[in-house]
Amino acid sequence: MNLVIHGLVQRFVDPRSGAQATVLDGLDLITGDIQALVLVGPSGGGKSTLLRILAGLDAPAAGTVAFDGEPLPNGEDALIGYRRTVGTVFQAYNLFPHLTAMQNLLLPLVHVHGLTEAAARDRIREPLERFGLAGHAHKRPAELSGGQKQRVAILRALIVRPQRLFLDEPTSALDPEMAGEVLDMIGELKAAGTQFVLVTHEMGFARRVADEIAFIADGECPALAAPEKFFAGCGEPRVVSFLERTRRV
Amino acid sequence: MPRWLAHLIVFALFAAVAGWAFASLDMTWNWGVVWEYRWAFWRGWWMTLGLALAALLASSMIGLAAAVMLRSHFPLVEAVARIYVEVIRGTPLLVQLLVGWYVVAAALHVGTEYRTAVGVLVLALFSGAYMAEIFRGGLDAIPKAQVDSARAIGLTRWQAFRLVILPQAVRIVLPAVAGQLVSLIKDSSLLSVLSIGEFTFAARNVNSATYSTLESYLPLAAGYLALTLPLSALSRWLERRFRYEAA
Amino acid sequence: MAWTRRSVPWAWCLLAAAFSTSALAVEPLRVGMELSYPPFEMTDPNGKPAGVSVKLAEALAAHLGRPVVIENIAFDGLIPALKAGHVDCVISSMTATAERAKSIAFSEPYLKTGLALLIAERSPVHSAADLDASGRVVAVKQGTTGQQWAATSLKQARVLVLDTESAAVLEVIQGRADAFVYDSMSVYTNHKKQPAKTRAALAPFREESWAVGIRQGNDALRQQVNDFLEKFRADGGFDKLGDEFLAEQKAYFKEHAIPFYF
Repeated sequence: MNLVIHGLVQRFVDPRSGAQATVLDGLDLITGDIQALVLVGPSGGGKSTLLRILAGLDAPAAGTVAFDGEPLPNGEDALIGYRRTVGTVFQAYNLFPHLTAMQNLLLPLVHVHGLTEAAARDRIREPLERFGLAGHAHKRPAELSGGQKQRVAILRALIVRPQRLFLDEPTSALDPEMAGEVLDMIGELKAAGTQFVLVTHEMGFARRVADEIAFIADGECPALAAPEKFFAGCGEPRVVSFLERTRRV
Repeated sequence: MPRWLAHLIVFALFAAVAGWAFASLDMTWNWGVVWEYRWAFWRGWWMTLGLALAALLASSMIGLAAAVMLRSHFPLVEAVARIYVEVIRGTPLLVQLLVGWYVVAAALHVGTEYRTAVGVLVLALFSGAYMAEIFRGGLDAIPKAQVDSARAIGLTRWQAFRLVILPQAVRIVLPAVAGQLVSLIKDSSLLSVLSIGEFTFAARNVNSATYSTLESYLPLAAGYLALTLPLSALSRWLERRFRYEAA
Repeated sequence: MAWTRRSVPWAWCLLAAAFSTSALAVEPLRVGMELSYPPFEMTDPNGKPAGVSVKLAEALAAHLGRPVVIENIAFDGLIPALKAGHVDCVISSMTATAERAKSIAFSEPYLKTGLALLIAERSPVHSAADLDASGRVVAVKQGTTGQQWAATSLKQARVLVLDTESAAVLEVIQGRADAFVYDSMSVYTNHKKQPAKTRAALAPFREESWAVGIRQGNDALRQQVNDFLEKFRADGGFDKLGDEFLAEQKAYFKEHAIPFYF
């Protein structure tokens, strides 16, 4: 995929105080023709906000975004259509707790993409096995571990055969062992050729899996580079100090 | 000691104390009237059950609509719902029944045949205000991330409400709603003031005809307990069941 | 100890007070009535009990040499209160009926009146004979002889049983009931308040008399009350009450030859 962003602006209004905050301040970002883009940066810098716009969840205040030359649509109705062509996974609360894992997987296929239940089950069967979740399909999210829940969520995003995936810190709420499970799954997706944009704090994983890494801070993108160059600092002082802080961990 | 046994023993103790208190009242008891008027009690009991169920159905719909309105971003919509809830919860049901029948329904020239309907409507509006707060609490309890997740898979707002939000909210509020049904059953006794033939009305008429107050009112209390105790048990069971699920 | 020295004088005072009050104390006469039936049982603008029955109760208590306490109790709760011993007697414009006499005792009657009808303006009803037809709606008050009459005499009409006189009157005025079965006195009073919306059939279709209710077995009090009523009547006490509270009604009823007299 080739992502081109010009002058992206996003503001939030605090519903209670009415105060406005500008989270993205004229952000520019142009990638090469890549498979996996990873967004890193300090908390509050705008990574998640950017991802939500790319995933079609929020409309920006100003600016343009285009994947492979196609701009993101305007207006909520058109965005609903766009969201159906991509998959998004959040940090937590992806799955619907009143449904079993299987029902969670069936829901988008049946209610959004119009498959019959039989056809949907067919499509789900193989990936479910491949990712080792077949034995857990009948369980409700409350009975699954954090890692299993996130993997089911990723699976749910995959089975609609999206153009690309958006993952917003999918492992931040998990302990290291479960985080590992999920990261392995994402690694498999990379190997299988799935396009995705990933926001993460896992620097080691970012280095392994990214084709390009974008540094998002203070509402802009001061640096975008392939992993080796990025971890060398790219000559950008904010990147250098960020890398130093994360290395200390 | 198993819990049910403890409950039974304490209840038996209370009953014994109550029985001794009654016995020491030095009154001539006339239990024959209860038997004589049993059909009046029986009909009234069923009427109460019917009224409470009808009011529960209506108030659930009113409450759900009001809850959605309370969470609306349009100021006028939210205001209508908020005023409804505050006024209804701030005035006694008796006052609402009297105003509803002798002022509002009279102004609209509603005839006497609609007495029961008006009574049920007032009761439903009364309960609906409490249901609105129950449902609002249930809707608010669902993490906003659930809405995000629903939108992310491409569900429309209506689909998200129907498939994701509502089922979860219903599970959360079910115990409170069962509790509201218990309240409805008890509150329905006030409909007797509009000469609606429910359980309490029947007992008061028996009392007026026979001057046997305790003999008419004790079965009345027992009859209400027969309705509310199973419901309370159901409510507690529902609470236990859905607390596990919502984890 | 400090507390004994200071409290002992107080203790003596209390004891003395207790002795003196118990020696002088006479048990008050507790009279039950429902204070929502002007001009017999009502409250004055300050909220204190007033009316014919209150005056009668005060006179009775004075005759017995006891202080009087008026207990305001809903009409259908008066007999239960009497049976349970919360009040000594009931003076509340209560009709002595055979049914009630099974539960309580009555004094000699002190007033003759009867059941009458407050009829809605638009209703086709003109007399009690018109009431028992399908489609007719008749209002009565809980616990009254009107309710008892309706329970036995009305088979086809719908009977509304209301808690209060004002509710029953409202039903008639608002056209939801054809008539309110009540005593002729109150029918007259209510008709006068709403002459346009009501008609009054004042000639009683069933005569009744009011008496003082007393607990069964309390024969001593019953005798005392009967003695009092005899004396009160002889002394012109009832005439005075009639003039004070019921002058207008007396004149009207006399003019129309409707029975009403103490």
